[in-house]
Amino acid sequence: MRFVFFNPAAWRSGLLLALLASAGAAAAQAPPDSARLSQRLLRLPEVRVRAIGPERFAVGSRRLELDSAVLAQYRGGNLADVLQARTPIALKNYGPGQLATIALRGTSAQHTAVLWNGLNIMLPTLGQNDFALLPVGATTRVSIQPGPAAALYGSGAVGGAVLLNSDPDWRPGFHGSVQADAGSFGLRGGSLEARTATPTVAVRIASSYREAQNNYSYVLREARGPVRYTLRNAALRHQWSISPDVAWRVGTAGEVTAAAWLTDTDREIQSGVNVTGSQAEERDQSRRLVLGYRHVAARRQWAVRGAWFEDILNYRDGGAPSNSRVRTTQAQAEHTAALGARGSLRLGAEAQHFSALVSGYGTTEVAESRAAAFALLRYDPRPGLRLSANLRQAALPAGLAPLTPTAGLEWDLLQIGNDTLSRSLTQSLAAKASAARSYRAPTLNERYWLPGGNPDLRSESGVGYEAGLRHRLAWPGGLTAETELTAFRQDVDDWVQWLPSTSTGIWSPRNLRQVRSQGVEASTALRLRQGRYAGGVQLAYHFTDTRKTQGTAADSDPVGVQLAFVPQHQASFSTDHRWREWLVSSTVAFTSFRYVNASGTDYLPGTGLLGATLGRTLRGPADMGLLVLVQATNLLNQRYDTYPGRPAPPRALSASLRLSWQ
Amino acid sequence: MKKQVMPFLTALALLTACDPDKEKETPAPETNGVFVLSEGQFGAGDGAVSIFDKDTKALTVDAFGSANGGAKLGDVVQSMGVQGTRGYIVVNASNKIEVVDLPGFKTAGTISGIEQPRYFTSTSATRGYVTGWKGPFTNYLPGTLSILNLTTNTVSSTVTVGRNPEQLLALGGKIYVPNSLDNTVTVVDEASGAVSSTITVSDGPRSMVADKDGNIWVLCSGFVTFLNVPPFTATRVSNGALIRFNPGSPATQTKLAFPSTGSPSQLRINPAKDQLFYSFGGAEYRLPTTATALPTAPFIRRSFTGFAIDPRDNTVYGGISPSFSSNGRFIRYQPSGVAIDSFTVKVGPNGFVFY
Repeated sequence: MRFVFFNPAAWRSGLLLALLASAGAAAAQAPPDSARLSQRLLRLPEVRVRAIGPERFAVGSRRLELDSAVLAQYRGGNLADVLQARTPIALKNYGPGQLATIALRGTSAQHTAVLWNGLNIMLPTLGQNDFALLPVGATTRVSIQPGPAAALYGSGAVGGAVLLNSDPDWRPGFHGSVQADAGSFGLRGGSLEARTATPTVAVRIASSYREAQNNYSYVLREARGPVRYTLRNAALRHQWSISPDVAWRVGTAGEVTAAAWLTDTDREIQSGVNVTGSQAEERDQSRRLVLGYRHVAARRQWAVRGAWFEDILNYRDGGAPSNSRVRTTQAQAEHTAALGARGSLRLGAEAQHFSALVSGYGTTEVAESRAAAFALLRYDPRPGLRLSANLRQAALPAGLAPLTPTAGLEWDLLQIGNDTLSRSLTQSLAAKASAARSYRAPTLNERYWLPGGNPDLRSESGVGYEAGLRHRLAWPGGLTAETELTAFRQDVDDWVQWLPSTSTGIWSPRNLRQVRSQGVEASTALRLRQGRYAGGVQLAYHFTDTRKTQGTAADSDPVGVQLAFVPQHQASFSTDHRWREWLVSSTVAFTSFRYVNASGTDYLPGTGLLGATLGRTLRGPADMGLLVLVQATNLLNQRYDTYPGRPAPPRALSASLRLSWQ
Repeated sequence: MKKQVMPFLTALALLTACDPDKEKETPAPETNGVFVLSEGQFGAGDGAVSIFDKDTKALTVDAFGSANGGAKLGDVVQSMGVQGTRGYIVVNASNKIEVVDLPGFKTAGTISGIEQPRYFTSTSATRGYVTGWKGPFTNYLPGTLSILNLTTNTVSSTVTVGRNPEQLLALGGKIYVPNSLDNTVTVVDEASGAVSSTITVSDGPRSMVADKDGNIWVLCSGFVTFLNVPPFTATRVSNGALIRFNPGSPATQTKLAFPSTGSPSQLRINPAKDQLFYSFGGAEYRLPTTATALPTAPFIRRSFTGFAIDPRDNTVYGGISPSFSSNGRFIRYQPSGVAIDSFTVKVGPNGFVFY
């Protein structure tokens, strides 16, 4: 918090907050039952007041959740695998286990903030995450919030944010499971998850191991005709992930949490099948520790968190190794107070310190600090109307980042039936809208890379709007339908591009262009729960049109061409059925063609990929169960490239055995 | 990761050029084809050769793919040489030379197994030469001159030369190989296929031409290293130099020294072999072979990733690669340096062959 008093921008935001707060107080005259949800919670003595998550302040923004049932199916895989199978989100993927980066709403890999338990875990050197390095089993909840949200999530939340959380599970008793996996092309793996809770302590540990040879065959069209080869130098030698966490209740309102996430990945790097004799390999290790204290009372909550990360990326290809080690220290503090019966206001600050020893920066350590202050306001003036207004100001080494406000609204247009009784048809229709500014701080590589690093690089800034409708329908008997339609438009200014200098040929990042992204996201989900059956169908479609709208004279890429690796159309369809001891699910992921460079001439053709899972649980004694799971990917055996020169795997099968007890 | 490729791409952009020898091998005056080499995006395997018809201005963007059922040429098209009616396309990262029948580009074989091949030349219909680098980036080893059997499309023998051998020159029964990471030119005797001598020049010899008087010109780029501690400034270890010697007395050299403001590259000569061209500091310069000092005013104030002069009409061709994530283009200039027109080709145009 200390830095608030030193930062003039924070004073400015503080002033604005005071104004917002007084406006909220003036409007606080509606009937008090609008806060019935929290009151209902308070009436039950054994239920503690819940900590308010940042999503409470994200009114009007779209949010995709991957629930634990879905995550459990992909427990041995990485986040890229799940997102590709289950969502219409674009990823640029160099092959199984290879670099996989996200492009939310048409933006670049550096435009999606990835947060783990509320802390930014984007690699500070590259300013992005390799989603192949994030094993799914480590977290219990994955949500994606597309669209700019810098006020909530800080730097990088330009195209959106991916939130990984491992929430403490206070359900009493002991639960555990061990799983073994084996599959095509040398896939072997295993995982373990165990948790237990007493009234005051909740402990969970999840760990996983995976390796894969990825020695599948592919066909290369050569002058003499099609020639079949076996993929080489693409093995995932090992991938470990261990994530213990513990929560300890102190008194009636306090909670201490400690969590760690250790990952270690050793893999060969595929340089493209036309490159002969490449022996590149990369070792990625991340150690993430967070310690927090949270005080949760009825009208007031506060929390402090401290974190220490170490990210290692060592690359070698037979020549001089390129090593990188970044240590990040982060601190966050926030205070949330109720504003009357209908509002809450959160004030907070955070600071980050990076210390990087990167061979590309020279032999000395490079250090950089960043800080930010934020204010988040949620106010529900009357039942059926929810508002939020947020603000963040970050201070960077090169000056202040753009001030990033957010405003959001949700309005229930229609509400039929009572949501507490499920005996009659209920229906609701809500309109939502939000507007936000966002920024991305220059990465350490952009500032310090030798040669070419540009210390004068400005933050990228974005502004975006979205609006849409959410419709919920619940029939008596357990059938629900939820449909959401969102239209968005956003501009990113000062978009950074690395370009060679015309005089020296040295590549350097510069603030060059403006990019506009607009589109539509539609999703519908049908769920049925009846007797021993539970299942559902999800259908989602994204239309994303992203083009450079203008650029400086140095920026030679053409204006008005759909950006490379941003498909215009993406759709996903999935069904999941559980009946008695059986589990059946299938996924279809459709992606339209993608240009492979800025000129918009060469492209990767569209793909439609089918995957399926079949499982059966065998009940054993003493609450034990054995789940047999068989999974298939690329069932239609499509031949395609995930990236130019990187053939995708053909049809692949894997089988898992999971022994669980509770 | 991407940033680690940058220096490599930069190096490629600086080093690219077409074989200076091929002009003398392709005298056919009635033809009107211009082959434009595009190296492609590294790793994507999308290098290409475009055919430009200078009469109709028609452009076939990927001649090799069009003629061979959509086959990809491979990764980083480095250079191309011509011997008779055969074209030899050197594909650097794919470690191969694609042999094609000209002018149609139908495949006539592949010479594979050459490590990091760079530039090709030939002295007869049966004998070719290609330079090759050895070792990884930052740890290069002495490279090779591979002697090729053009009848069987195989490597018949390999000679070890200096580090990073570049644009070789065949002249008077000798093959001159400039070793760009050293300060030497290795001379290989054609008849014996062995190293006959090593000529010391300046740091970084990359390209060579022979003029009308039979003299050899070597363009040396000089060396630059970057300071390893803040403020990370670039340090020039040695300046570039343009060196002339007579093959009969290689130790007697005339040297024109460049200032430390840049690294000269891409030495070319006009069809009459009395005007030299090179790029320096983002511009193209020209000087007569009789010059005793370097020119101060550029010929064309523009940075090219490929540069060549059409021996049939002296038209000047310059390749423009604005970035390696978008298509490039080439510009045609009148012999006086006045621009004529420009055409879009695939990523990274780095050389021209006139056939």
